[in-house]
Amino acid sequence: MQNFMQILVSGISVGMIYGVIAFGYQLTFATSKTLNFGQGEALTLGALVGFSTVTFLIALGLPPLAAYILALPIVLAFGLLQGAVVERFGVRQAIKTKSEAGWIMATIALGIIFKNMAENVWGKDPLKFPSPLSEAPLTIGGVNLRPMEIAIVLGALAMMLAVEAFNRRSIYGKAVVATSNDRDAAGLMGINTPLVITFSYALSSLSAALAGVLIAPITLTGANMGAALGLKAFAVAIIGGLSSGLGVVVGGLILGITESLTGFYFDTGYKDVPGLLLLLLVLSFKPAGLFGKSAIKKV
Amino acid sequence: MLEVRNLVAGYGKVKVLHALSLHVPKGQLVTLIGSNGAGKSTTLRAVSGMIRPDSGEIMLGGRNIAGMASHDITRLGMAHSPEGRRVFPTLSVSDNVLLGAFPRLTGARSKGDVKADFDRLIDLFPKLKDRKDQLAGTLSGGEQQMLAMARALMLNPEVLLLDEPSMGLAPKLVEEVFATISRLKAAKVTMLLVEQFAAAALDVADFGYVLENGRISSSGPAESLKNDPAVRAAYLGAAH
Ligand SMILES: Nc1ncnc2c1ncn2[C@@H]1O[C@H](COP(=O)(O)OP(=O)(O)O)[C@@H](O)[C@H]1O
Ligand SMILES: [Mg+2]
Repeated sequence: MQNFMQILVSGISVGMIYGVIAFGYQLTFATSKTLNFGQGEALTLGALVGFSTVTFLIALGLPPLAAYILALPIVLAFGLLQGAVVERFGVRQAIKTKSEAGWIMATIALGIIFKNMAENVWGKDPLKFPSPLSEAPLTIGGVNLRPMEIAIVLGALAMMLAVEAFNRRSIYGKAVVATSNDRDAAGLMGINTPLVITFSYALSSLSAALAGVLIAPITLTGANMGAALGLKAFAVAIIGGLSSGLGVVVGGLILGITESLTGFYFDTGYKDVPGLLLLLLVLSFKPAGLFGKSAIKKV
Repeated sequence: MLEVRNLVAGYGKVKVLHALSLHVPKGQLVTLIGSNGAGKSTTLRAVSGMIRPDSGEIMLGGRNIAGMASHDITRLGMAHSPEGRRVFPTLSVSDNVLLGAFPRLTGARSKGDVKADFDRLIDLFPKLKDRKDQLAGTLSGGEQQMLAMARALMLNPEVLLLDEPSMGLAPKLVEEVFATISRLKAAKVTMLLVEQFAAAALDVADFGYVLENGRISSSGPAESLKNDPAVRAAYLGAAH
């Protein structure tokens, strides 16, 4: 039983990471009905920019936690910028010409370019991200919890709640929701909808970059860390629904826990299988997602 | 105030409007009537920037706005309540109304008293007042029409474009919509009204244009158009 609890708990933190990346998929889908298939690479870059910043600050003599906290705004700003670049140079033209293949190919291509850049700058070997928190687990009710796992859950929730609050409370957030509802009508309100779409890409990459720095301390950091995460989070976005906020958290947790169960009862080597199987199943049977109402755009 | 000259517009290669010209003087209510598919909505869409005109001039307060993006045109004071209402279904009624003032709330247009305008408009449309916190998607067709008009008025527009505000409404609500339009006219709001109810539109309007296959076939003071035998036969016949 305690074993089972332990597995459950270790699935939760990874599940939240999936949730955050999937949340990023939702953000761009809502405003533009397009997705950034380079989300995994946005995560990689976020983690690596975080790695360099944290390492630099530690070399200056800062303690790891302070270095991490100072690095966060830099990583988030980098994510915003990177997402804006993807939209501006990869997606905007495809949206204008209503080309379905255009944005798919463009975001995949940019993802590959970003990955190559990462390999050139940071090398191909995995790096050890300095942990901002103690790596010694806390034992609560017989279950071991790494402090970083708690930070992941809190960080992920804080990000999603912040976006939700922005959408509900601020006039700019309402403009984003209006654009998601009806882009032409939003334009008639004086809302610069192309800019809203750029912003949603920026925010989407910010989510991925945040997921990257959150997971980096408990995994290996490197140019290849994002690819599988991005793909599996895509499955989560589909089961969670590309339109509903809560669904991705539930979907992420289901996948995270299933993976840690698979790793425990079968073999850690098969850890990626459930997520990818889920993707195949969902794509064949439930294209609208279990929790959302809107379907993937029919091509 | 609004002057359209030789406007050519359409969808892709299909041209719908062929060198259309019309004029909406400040403080006046001008109506554009014509049968289904004549190009009335296309005219309004081209004027407000929802579609890009192929050629022609659209002068708003002395400035050619043809080819500008719709959000920029809105910021210059053009409000468009589009065909089919197009309210934001997942936002509350209040948020829909508030978004009409987006350019004023974000510094793109002089702010004035947004709160006072909100209260005044919500009083003008009492049904909205009772449903302020409801999602716009849950409103009835008539209520959504009121909402679309209130939202457009929140801009404090120089010109208001209204596309078939009576479409799909029960007769009693149609009356209500026209009563509201009369009130706006009395308040000197400059309006271009597109209507299927030609008789009712000519009753409230100062001036009218008749659109046929993307061309203006006749125009004149509303009073004289109403008595024009050709117009009577084509557009008012069924109503009498
Ligand atoms: N979105 C569109 N795409 C292509 N053609 C359209 C579109 N909207 C309208 N049309 C065509 O343009 C013509 C004029 O339509 P419209 O301006 O809506 O007429 P009205 O508002 O006078 O009924 C019609 O032939 C219609 O089929
Ligand atoms: Mg029409």
